[in-house]
Amino acid sequence: MIPAMNPLVLFHLAALLLLALGLYGITIRKTLVGMLISVELMLNGAGLALVASARLTPALDALGQVGTLLVMGLAAAEATLVLAIILVVFKRFGTSDSAKISTLRG
Amino acid sequence: MGEALQQQLAYVGYGLYLLLILAGGLAAVMSTSLVRALMGLILTLFGVAGMFLLMNAPFLAFMQILIYVGAVSVLIFFAIMLTKTPEGEAGAENMLEWIGLRAGLAVLAALTPAIIMATLIVKKAPAALALKPEVTLAQLGEFLTGPFVLAFELISVVLLAAMAGAVVLGFERRKGK
Repeated sequence: MIPAMNPLVLFHLAALLLLALGLYGITIRKTLVGMLISVELMLNGAGLALVASARLTPALDALGQVGTLLVMGLAAAEATLVLAIILVVFKRFGTSDSAKISTLRG
Repeated sequence: MGEALQQQLAYVGYGLYLLLILAGGLAAVMSTSLVRALMGLILTLFGVAGMFLLMNAPFLAFMQILIYVGAVSVLIFFAIMLTKTPEGEAGAENMLEWIGLRAGLAVLAALTPAIIMATLIVKKAPAALALKPEVTLAQLGEFLTGPFVLAFELISVVLLAAMAGAVVLGFERRKGK
């Protein structure tokens, strides 16, 4: 085992893995729903990093946990709004493909 | 149980949850079918909940399952269901199209920040610290209604605004009066 691999590093690397997967997904997905899934992955990574930083460093413990709870609340609000936006876009364009939903020509 | 054995078991658990996160995340971003991608996301969410448990934050693990697995994934499932086209499942993406410039750029977009941050995380790692005692629910509640009361109230306003916005966006006028 590499000496630098203490639990804090391990948890932060897991959070970074989530961020990288989310970035890859949001770049390569063409549908809005696929992008939403990738955003949820990244938000989860943020929550994991926050909790790891709060639990395994001298930082205030409740701060990180409450922060993660707020991130979860924001993610729920964001998912609600994005669902409504996807519905509106789908009603208007008949597709949720991000490449096809443009009204400008050229 | 011995301290050393507990330590070993914690690493085993970490590996297991990391595997869940990796497999689920790959399914979430690579799967051609959006329903399978959502199943991958749910697997990942369970993995993250397990990591919260490993860090001795059981309340957060519970909230993770309740909010993400229970609510957010159902919302995403509704989004998949309601954007179904006559040709078939919503957003079935062509796998062959993914090989090429776009996939290369996507890998670049993911790896650039990942490599930079991974180097920083490993190089600047602070000394390992023993896990602190569990934060009780009462302590969390006191924190949320004490110093964090403004954030607590604001998140309620945000949720209300999001709900009202979703209703307004989804509202359909009656046709033909």
